[in-house]
Amino acid sequence: MEEGRAYIETGILEEYVAGLLTTEQQLEVEAMAARYPEVKQEIEAIEIALEKYAMSQAIQPPAGLKDRILREVMTKDHIKKAPDPLSSNTVQLNTSHYDSKIRTLRIALVACIALLVISVVALFSTRNQLGDAKNEIIALNLDKQKFAAEASYLKESNSDLQKISAMSDDPDWKRVKLAGTKMDPQAKMVVYWHVSGQHVMLDNSKMQLPANDQDHQYQLWALVNGKPVDLGVFDTKPDSNHVLLKMKEITGAQAFAVTLEKRGGSASPTMDQMIVMGGVSI
Amino acid sequence: MLLLLFLYISKQLAPTKKISLPENELVLALKSRDTLAIHALYDMYSGALMGVITRIIQQTEVAEDLLQETFIKIWNSAEGYDPDKGRLFTWMLNIARNLAIDKLRSKDFRNAGKNQNIENNVDFIDAQKEVTFNADTLGIKDMVNGLKPEFNVVLDMVYFKGYTHVEAAEELNLPLGTIKTRIRMAIMELRKKFN
Repeated sequence: MEEGRAYIETGILEEYVAGLLTTEQQLEVEAMAARYPEVKQEIEAIEIALEKYAMSQAIQPPAGLKDRILREVMTKDHIKKAPDPLSSNTVQLNTSHYDSKIRTLRIALVACIALLVISVVALFSTRNQLGDAKNEIIALNLDKQKFAAEASYLKESNSDLQKISAMSDDPDWKRVKLAGTKMDPQAKMVVYWHVSGQHVMLDNSKMQLPANDQDHQYQLWALVNGKPVDLGVFDTKPDSNHVLLKMKEITGAQAFAVTLEKRGGSASPTMDQMIVMGGVSI
Repeated sequence: MLLLLFLYISKQLAPTKKISLPENELVLALKSRDTLAIHALYDMYSGALMGVITRIIQQTEVAEDLLQETFIKIWNSAEGYDPDKGRLFTWMLNIARNLAIDKLRSKDFRNAGKNQNIENNVDFIDAQKEVTFNADTLGIKDMVNGLKPEFNVVLDMVYFKGYTHVEAAEELNLPLGTIKTRIRMAIMELRKKFN
């Protein structure tokens, strides 16, 4: 402590800061500064004081000088008039640093361009693939609708077929076969009739009637105590969704018959247009 | 890529503003040869360095050339600066002062000086590198800074003009001890004034 203080008092630190010392003296001051913190602090305090003093004595150079000087600094970069052995080393290092920076930037630029090209190509191919995918989705949707329609048809016909198979086990269900009359001996069809429930069904799959035209429809009749009762009209065009065709309900029918009537049906059957008929077997 | 472009543009635009950086960042930037450093150094210290140069060389044109030399040297020998041995400004000031003193001693400057017969030209260093000095012109414009004139004179001689204590003592015709005391007291005054 004492020694550090005494060293400060010699005034050598002021000379050190002013850069007036020989290399040997400088090394001595630096050694002392490393040894005594107060010496180091004193040096810094002197520096700061003189720095502020220099700042207070500043003479601002003309405004245009900055650009000129900075331009010169950049052009004279790494070039020294009288290179000393220390700085020649530095020069080489700095040049390679500068070159490698440029090289790195150039590589980065090329990489950026390559990435850009790849991105554009990828974007276009993705766009095309997206279009293909969209078309495929539309096609698949159509298929799906087709399958759904088919599935619902199969479900419906399956439930109808199950109904038919259940009918044969149920004694209340009468299966009435209608045979062709002289108008068309080939014609035939089947009517299911539930005696107690009064339901009447036509079997679409077992219907063999000549096709009706736009102006006419077949009409089903039940004969109850000799009187014909209207059970509704139907077309031969097979209903795609149903095997069974539900007609009006009836009780106490002895026979069923079908006549060809004008579209919409008639109040009473046209007897010469009767195409099939059959009695209910008890 | 956009980001790179922005960085580049911001670097290009930055020098239009006055830049000021903390000393440690400044040193780091200077040593990594970031051009921002030289811009900041110029903005922060060109005035102070110009002040020092002008005390040694009064001709504006020559002083401006020396300022340019100073910044070229600062940029090119940044590797040689050791923050452990002193502050950045002290290092820069030594560069500026040494360049100015070298100029003052150079043959071409002396000849030019004689030819132009510039009035407030300073005296020159002789072949034995002993300094001679015109004491009358010293410190006149520094009287305004609040320091006693005798303090200003020694500070200028030692700190700005590179006189050793011995040289200053001879020049001012004072004992060496007085010079040392005055310098220490002048610096004490400055520390009191600035801190």
